[in-house]
Amino acid sequence: MIGTVFRMMLVTSLKDKITLFYALVFPILLMAGLGYYFDSPEYRERLLVGVIALSTLFWSVQGVAFQVYQQRNKGVYKLLKLTPFPTVSFVLALTLSRTLLGLCINAIILLIGAPMFGIALTFSGVIQLLAMLLSGMLCFTCLGFLVVNFARHEGQINMLSNLLQIPMVFGSEAFYSLSAAPEWLARVGKCLPFAYFVEGLQAAAKADIRPWGVSMLIVLGFAFVILVLATLTFRWSPEHQEIRFRMRKSASNG
Amino acid sequence: MNRVLLRASGLVKRYGSKSVVNGIDLEVREKEVVAVIGPNGAGKSTTLDMILGLKRQDAGSVTYWRDDYKASVGVQLQSTPFFPGLSALDNLKLFAAFHKRRLSVEEGLRVLGLCGLRDVARTEASRLSGGQQKRLAIAVALVHEPKLVFLDEPTAALDPRARREIRDLIRRLAESGASVVFTSHDMEEVGKLADRVVMIRNGRVMAHGTPEELLARYAVVNLEELYLKLTEEAAT
Repeated sequence: MIGTVFRMMLVTSLKDKITLFYALVFPILLMAGLGYYFDSPEYRERLLVGVIALSTLFWSVQGVAFQVYQQRNKGVYKLLKLTPFPTVSFVLALTLSRTLLGLCINAIILLIGAPMFGIALTFSGVIQLLAMLLSGMLCFTCLGFLVVNFARHEGQINMLSNLLQIPMVFGSEAFYSLSAAPEWLARVGKCLPFAYFVEGLQAAAKADIRPWGVSMLIVLGFAFVILVLATLTFRWSPEHQEIRFRMRKSASNG
Repeated sequence: MNRVLLRASGLVKRYGSKSVVNGIDLEVREKEVVAVIGPNGAGKSTTLDMILGLKRQDAGSVTYWRDDYKASVGVQLQSTPFFPGLSALDNLKLFAAFHKRRLSVEEGLRVLGLCGLRDVARTEASRLSGGQQKRLAIAVALVHEPKLVFLDEPTAALDPRARREIRDLIRRLAESGASVVFTSHDMEEVGKLADRVVMIRNGRVMAHGTPEELLARYAVVNLEELYLKLTEEAAT
């Protein structure tokens, strides 16, 4: 039965056209545009890795947040609680299907970007890249779940996602070196997982084992902490938070 | 007398200092159609949520005829919980999988046919009209052939033809041996379908019995009059 659920989650994720645009079309356009102006081989390698990282971030955080929000608001989780199917299996099927699609999206970007920029990856580099992408997707998917647990409406999903994504992107070396940037920016970046994810991908592209391994452990550590927070704050239905809010409000009024 | 499938005793639910359900008792027997009626905010949905385990009661108990009741209970909520991008048939297959059932296309079409949705089986669920989505929600509740079905306002916002189809479906369900608990604001519908009526107001059961018993007890000619009488009495 988990196979049917997994397959259906693949279909429903594939029909999410807005997230697909931001995870696939936008990164490819960004890669082509920036690659046209900056022709240094070092920068182009950074660009390809940066675009893959950005695609993973958009696909995992906002994609998951919007999908979970829609499902929860439509009462899917409420109804799911009334079936013998464990919710944890459903969340797992949703996460795995999105991870598989995310990997396919990254493979498309890689297959377009690597020949376009003349970047040759080694076999071990590809394996390292894959492992790093998996851990990154896990971490950012958990972040997507966390975002949706705090968002009370769709607008808040965008706001909360951007609140996390913008410092993560600007505080990382995804598209430029931070050596000339203010020190505080790099410090902010180091408090968030994206900078380590980018470092891990860059190390994987060079098949550099040690920094890749360190980055991977840090990203997985972040994933664990965020997973715990997402589990603790998980809401089955939109009313749960509303009820807590109302109770607090009435208590403060009283 | 048929065996009891569900027994809820002394259910209480409070939000802060406000009680929304104050000691409700409800019993549902095999092959019985029970209508739960009452004005908006009376506590019907909260009572159903507690019975279904969606909300935890502050006092009271709920007992089903078997421990693994979830496999034999079908629920249609007021919301229409469908997955975007999936057809009506695929949504049905997915919910069948949640009930650990593999649904063939033929079986799926049969269930959709019961709810008058066979022609739109391949249409994306989110593109269906409001009435069709409601019927799909009912199809989802029936996909695993449950013994006890909860329908929360199944005919609300439907056109007369769709309402009649849903009423016929509820009748057929009862004839096939399933028990049905439904909420409704349509007293004509309640009179036509229900073996027993439970009226709730301010979180309490104000009246219960067969439609005939209630009409005789309160000396009224129809359930609408009874409804108006009881809600008026409570308001004054």
